[in-house]
Amino acid sequence: AKMKKPDVKLVILGDMNVGKTSLLHRYIERKFKDTISTVGGAFFLKQWGPYNISIWDTAGREQFHGLGSMYCRGAAAVILTYDVTNWQSLVELEQRFLSLTDTANSDCIFAIVGNKADLTNLKAAAAETGEERESNGNLAGAQFPASPKMHKQVQPEDAVALYHRILRYKMLEEKCSPPAEAMCFETSAKTGYNVDLLFERVFDMVVPGILKKKTEAMSNTVDLEDCSDMQRTKLGCCG
Amino acid sequence: MSVKAFELVLAVERELLMGDKPRINIECIECCGKNIYIGTNDCFLHHFLLEEKSSSKGNPAFAAQKQLQRHLGLKKPVNELKAASALNRLIVLCDNTIMVVNMLNLEPVPSGAKIKGVVTFTVNENPVNGDPFCVEIGVISVKKRTIQIYMVYEDRVQIVKELSTPEQPSAIGLDGYFLCLALTTQYIILNYNTGASQDLFPYDSEERKPIVKRIGREEFLLAAPGGLGMFATAAGISQRAPVRWSENVIGAAVCFPYVVALDEGFITVHSMLDQQLKQTLSFRDGHILQDFEGKVVLTTTKAVYVLVPLPLERQIQDLLASHRVEEALVLAEGARRNIPKDKFQVMYRRILQQAGFIQFGRLQFSEAKEHFRKGHLDVRELISLYPLLLPTTSTFTRSHPPLHEFADLNHLTQGDQKKILKCKRFLISYLSEIRSTEVANGYRDDVDTALLKLYAEANHESLLDLLVSENACVLMDSVPWLEKHKKFFALGLLYHYNGQDDAAVQLWMQIVNGELHDDTRADLYEYIVDFLTFSSKQDLIWKYADWALQKNEKVGVQIFTKRPEDEEKKGKLNPDNVIKYLHKYSQAIILYLEHLVFEKNIQKEKFHSHLAALYLDRVLQLHSQSETPSEELSSSRTKLQNLLQKSNLYRVQLLLGKIKDTDLKFECAILYGKLEEYDKALHILVHQLKDFQAAERYCLWASEDKDPSYRQRLFHMLLALYMDPSISNDALVMAAVDLLNRHAEVFDAVRVLRLVPESWSVQLLCPFLSGAIRESMHSKRMSQVALGLARSENIIHKHEKMKSKGGPIFLSEKKGCQLCHNTFSEPEFVFHPSGIPIHTHCAAKRNRESPSRRQYPNVNNHT
Ligand SMILES: Nc1nc2c(ncn2[C@@H]2O[C@H](COP(=O)(O)OP(=O)(O)O)[C@@H](O)[C@H]2O)c(=O)[nH]1
Ligand SMILES: [Mg+2]
Repeated sequence: AKMKKPDVKLVILGDMNVGKTSLLHRYIERKFKDTISTVGGAFFLKQWGPYNISIWDTAGREQFHGLGSMYCRGAAAVILTYDVTNWQSLVELEQRFLSLTDTANSDCIFAIVGNKADLTNLKAAAAETGEERESNGNLAGAQFPASPKMHKQVQPEDAVALYHRILRYKMLEEKCSPPAEAMCFETSAKTGYNVDLLFERVFDMVVPGILKKKTEAMSNTVDLEDCSDMQRTKLGCCG
Repeated sequence: MSVKAFELVLAVERELLMGDKPRINIECIECCGKNIYIGTNDCFLHHFLLEEKSSSKGNPAFAAQKQLQRHLGLKKPVNELKAASALNRLIVLCDNTIMVVNMLNLEPVPSGAKIKGVVTFTVNENPVNGDPFCVEIGVISVKKRTIQIYMVYEDRVQIVKELSTPEQPSAIGLDGYFLCLALTTQYIILNYNTGASQDLFPYDSEERKPIVKRIGREEFLLAAPGGLGMFATAAGISQRAPVRWSENVIGAAVCFPYVVALDEGFITVHSMLDQQLKQTLSFRDGHILQDFEGKVVLTTTKAVYVLVPLPLERQIQDLLASHRVEEALVLAEGARRNIPKDKFQVMYRRILQQAGFIQFGRLQFSEAKEHFRKGHLDVRELISLYPLLLPTTSTFTRSHPPLHEFADLNHLTQGDQKKILKCKRFLISYLSEIRSTEVANGYRDDVDTALLKLYAEANHESLLDLLVSENACVLMDSVPWLEKHKKFFALGLLYHYNGQDDAAVQLWMQIVNGELHDDTRADLYEYIVDFLTFSSKQDLIWKYADWALQKNEKVGVQIFTKRPEDEEKKGKLNPDNVIKYLHKYSQAIILYLEHLVFEKNIQKEKFHSHLAALYLDRVLQLHSQSETPSEELSSSRTKLQNLLQKSNLYRVQLLLGKIKDTDLKFECAILYGKLEEYDKALHILVHQLKDFQAAERYCLWASEDKDPSYRQRLFHMLLALYMDPSISNDALVMAAVDLLNRHAEVFDAVRVLRLVPESWSVQLLCPFLSGAIRESMHSKRMSQVALGLARSENIIHKHEKMKSKGGPIFLSEKKGCQLCHNTFSEPEFVFHPSGIPIHTHCAAKRNRESPSRRQYPNVNNHT
């Protein structure tokens, strides 16, 4: 089944237990279920229009950290995931995971995702669909938290600030990159809140890249404009 | 969950190799076709032939035959062995030296070709240089941080390249130009042609033995931190998710779609398709695991084993038997590339069908449906699970071996009615979806009959849609079923669809009559009438029309009055027969005749007369019933009058005979009018009915579409009646004055003025007079206009004529007459028909001389 050649790669990075596997599972299987700690890495192929997108779920454990660079090699998009109730998980993104993306494509797109929003946000908690509750069956699945259960440690502004720092790290010009509002999400794999939005937005953003790659492969020419663009960006940042 | 993917079979037993010598161990092994070569720690090379055979139970088994053994002349173990079968050589690593020996006699090649200082080596199975008479090998040298590439020929070796690496390499793989190396702290890919290197991932080779295993074109399997088996391509990316091994893996190999790994106690089998551990075999003292041409071979230090893969189909069937649908499908899909297309398709479809039934058994209907669809399931397999649904005529038998383990629906649901209902609902939606697709081709009868039964049982509204559209329901089977479920109306539709209209109507009639109960349609009676109306079967119509008319004449007669327009072609009902038939239905026959006369516009005297007579009878009947005029009476009279006035076809005399002696005076007057006996008609209106307005209207009606003098005559006739000196009274005089004043333009004014008595004042007749004058002025002016128009038309014609005669003629003293050739001295001339001027006297003279026709000289001769 998974033998089709992917047109583009997307990688989900983040500390263990932030919910990477759950997010992917929610998007692909439309369900939230217990996950076992990801070993090494796993991937799914998603048909998106005429394209096959491979989505890599990575292991957040320190032990597998070294594999991250390899997973990111040639990635068109990286989804950096943290847990909104865990400040450290955001810190880790910058300290530990960002450098893994050095092997990604130079025009790689970044999304920053604060998962487990259901724990702090009533709207995210209520996003659960009727169908979902029915299939959960038990009463526990249907109850809404009367008030947020947990303290929110990461605010959206923190994620936006990180996004800007990432652009700087990558030496990407702000105005040539997607805006922070479009690329910072708060999601809940548990209720499905913003999950489709996240993946579909990222997919839509990588599609032009696929097209470009295909036409380049056909005409087999070097895109001079792209190179000069890169140079300008780098100069701009160093100054 | 586990699956039995492999079976471990002993291939070369210890006895054959070393007997009971305890210190001898296997060091390395090579398989090549049926040949097995084994290197031992006592510097021996052994050669065996391995025959595969089946044991009595059908399990795989091997018989090894010792061919040869040879001592290599050193006191060191034989470390590595690789066959170069095209060269008929074995490449042997012993005591850090590669030597080349003959595959058959195990003798070193006479040239004594050697490579010294080798730690380990690998053969490039995908060399860029495709020379079949040499083998490319990659070597880790004893020299620090050095890799060498050699070409090995039949009896010589040649170095191609030497590269240095940033760290000490300890394991090597080679494909194309790409070296995959385990260095001290990481794995890298190194292109020996360009020197470009690509880091893969960190790995501590000192802590744990690295594994580099080429598994296909530009793809390697590597031991990764945390006991992972990682896949990496030459481009430095991972295309497959890693598998999880134990921490101490000694060797690994790929036997599609499985990754097989060996550690100290076990052989593990992971699927490359879903990364799951599929099988674990206990294996003590494992030493080597290697794959040769798809065959996985293992050794302990003493004996050789083969890991024989079970046929894929058997594995899939095992998975299905334990209801592991997803895994079975993944495995089947994964095998697509390894099995011929048509064979694969047959196998895969069957697996999909089986998967569908497993899901069906779990009531996972949408998944089941998808698999049935993809697997091209013969729907009868599914229908046959439902008792009694397949028609008795069906030739279907379930496929063998069976696709599932269910006897029927009751067995599947354990009699749970709720579940049975769900299954039925699913089948309804499934069958209705596929019945008009090619899935149902060849057994539409079975599908439609099953659907009919399900619909009937479930009281489903689509039952009727099924029956009124094209369907293949088997009559014999459906009739008792519909009867059982009291779907009599539907049964009628089924009869009709099968051409048995008589049975259909009979059945419906019984419902209407209350003999059968089925309230599908509240308006069934109207439905039957409609049915008969659109039926082209005359005997059916005649048979049931009586029943329909007896129930309700007004509705029943529609059978005859609402017949489709295009009936002509199919042989239409003869109106005379219908009339004869409707004789006993007083209301129906009138409605039918009205239909013929007014709607069909049939211009036949007998219909018109008949209708008029029926109207008249009705009026007379109503009239005799009550003295005071009822609403019904007046409407009946209006109808009668209307017909009498509008139609010119009925037999006037006949009706007049009937009417004359009744007090239907007005109708009488109309009839006189039809006979053009206007005096009688007007007399009735003026003197008997004294209805002057009616008289006036009558005159207008009777002269409609006639020329003005006809109207004038009628009006004068009426005026004369009013002014009859013998019965003069004031009312008549007033009527006369009113008539004149209102219709001044109709009368001949002069005649009227002669008639008018002296005593009438001008004022009294003022409107008449001015009207008459206006009329005469009007007609005068109209004739002047007409005259003027006629004149101008005449002029136009003249102008046309002149134009067609040609332009002016120029005459001068220089021009001569064509007859006498003298010039003209006076303006008069005669225009000769041939278009030339001549003297008047010449023309006269000529006419006198020759009255007969003569040729004139041609004008052209004189120009
Ligand atoms: N409340 C809540 N829990 C979540 C959510 N996503 C994941 N989890 C839980 O967090 C834990 C770790 O999830 P997992 O997907 O394995 O994280 P990963 O290590 O990043 O792949 C599991 O116990 C999940 O049930 C979420 O959106 N809301
Ligand atoms: Mg995970």
